[in-house]
Amino acid sequence: MICCKDLHVTFNRGLPTEKLALRGIDLTIPMGEFVTVIGSNGAGKSTLLNTIAGDINSTKGQILFGDRDVTKLPATGRTADIARVFQDPLAGTCGDLTVEENMALAYGRGQKGRLSSALNSKMRNVFREQLSRLNLGLENRLESEMGLLSGGQRQSVSLLMSALQPSTILLLDEHTAALDPKTAALIMDITSQIIAEKQLTVMMVTHSMRQALDHGSRTIMLHEGKIIFDLAGEKRAGYEVKDLLNLFAQAKSDGEELDDDKLLLGA
Amino acid sequence: MSLFSFLGTLEIGLIYGLVAIGVYLTFRILDFPDLTVDGSFTLGAAVTATLIVMGVNVLLATVIGTLAAACAGLVTAWLNLRFDILHLLASILTMTALYTINLRVMGKPNVALIMEPTILTPFEGIFGLPDMYMRVIFVAICAVAGGLLVAWFLRTQYGLAMRAVGSNKRMAQANGIVVKQKVYAGLALSNGLVGLAGALFAQTNGFADSTMGIGTIVVGLAAVIIGQSLFASRSMYVIVLSCIVGSVLYRLAVSLALNADFLGFSASDLNLITAVLVALALIFPKLRNEWKAKQAARNEA
Repeated sequence: MICCKDLHVTFNRGLPTEKLALRGIDLTIPMGEFVTVIGSNGAGKSTLLNTIAGDINSTKGQILFGDRDVTKLPATGRTADIARVFQDPLAGTCGDLTVEENMALAYGRGQKGRLSSALNSKMRNVFREQLSRLNLGLENRLESEMGLLSGGQRQSVSLLMSALQPSTILLLDEHTAALDPKTAALIMDITSQIIAEKQLTVMMVTHSMRQALDHGSRTIMLHEGKIIFDLAGEKRAGYEVKDLLNLFAQAKSDGEELDDDKLLLGA
Repeated sequence: MSLFSFLGTLEIGLIYGLVAIGVYLTFRILDFPDLTVDGSFTLGAAVTATLIVMGVNVLLATVIGTLAAACAGLVTAWLNLRFDILHLLASILTMTALYTINLRVMGKPNVALIMEPTILTPFEGIFGLPDMYMRVIFVAICAVAGGLLVAWFLRTQYGLAMRAVGSNKRMAQANGIVVKQKVYAGLALSNGLVGLAGALFAQTNGFADSTMGIGTIVVGLAAVIIGQSLFASRSMYVIVLSCIVGSVLYRLAVSLALNADFLGFSASDLNLITAVLVALALIFPKLRNEWKAKQAARNEA
């Protein structure tokens, strides 16, 4: 479903600050597969997600959705296929708009903004029904300003919003990283439900090795803009966090201290 | 204050209500501080007045003046979006250029419309109303109709998308909203409203002048802030109409301050009065909240 061919991304090309963020990513993710993406800070995980979403233009290579070449398509042109949840709970919603207005925006994702009323009672019913899944009482707060909700509540709503429109790809960029453990678990639960319901093709960036192994059916690790390993199937099933760390240490055996990556050890 | 000057104040307040709505669209909705309005208010007036003197139909002249001002907004948006010039600076550049353009349009510093037909001419003597009442009613209808249209627009899918762009660009984009298109549309609409206000001002006051737009932005902002500090609401209709009310109240306050002999103000003190009024309107909600918090604390004790 998602196919990256020899994908390169260079920031500040031709300037002294030039940075090779992605250096030849070849990745094919079949329809319905759930891939977790790990790697240290600056490895290119978010860049890869943002390039697939169209926020960042690739300098070389190709991106295909199915057999459609989307390499040149801007982010807004890809939103009919892609739903996203960001790491920052404030990034996925508009704080100045109400809960229902935010959801209406997601409900119209990928459609042309028309001069018909943005909200109607049919939509409100859908929103209420979806919000009640969270058990946070938000179904009674449709008209509350989003900015008044807590980070966890906003992230929960962002997640529901990503599933309001049919899409085929879900990109999750450390979407539980900024939340407390209990809320993170709730969000992860609903994520799994939504993915199963809609049979989505998923890429989830995470800093937690545990989360990377517990969810999905395939794990890739990025290092300095390249995929350094790709685990799936039975081999992956036998893996523990410490095995991943060993693999990672091997790949990084160019003299760097692993201590710098305490983040990787996270629960 | 005499009835005559009261009605005059009301009339100007209502016309500037359209300016306030335009300023609300850029400052509050799009989060794009836009000083183009100082130039586009004059542009709307200058184009309309010049066309009327040339003998063009008054309605057509008003529409062309409005569209010319909308184009000025597009120029500012283009400088910002295409070349990444800071929005404030882009609008100052357009405003500066418009000063010359306005002089070129008129061919002289001002155009008088004293003996010319205006958009008000067909309504003179209607229902036996004296002109001074008719003018106030006419501009009130224009301002309220403009306000209702804008409020309706902001509640549509397109309008909601525009509000999302001003609130969170990244989220808007992730939901398939073409950010640039919404900024262009918003600046055109905003400056179009301001240009319409300029066109109406020229026709009700009988002249267009190259300096008439100076300070438009501050007046518009004052009206928005006064209106919003008085009516706290989430309803788009209330918010947009409160811009008009804010504009009228601002004009009344200025006029009272200038007319009150014991204060000893003269017309040249206008800018100081404006600054103090805007500051008061900004301070008032904060003081009110602090006072409420204190009261709540006292009630608990």
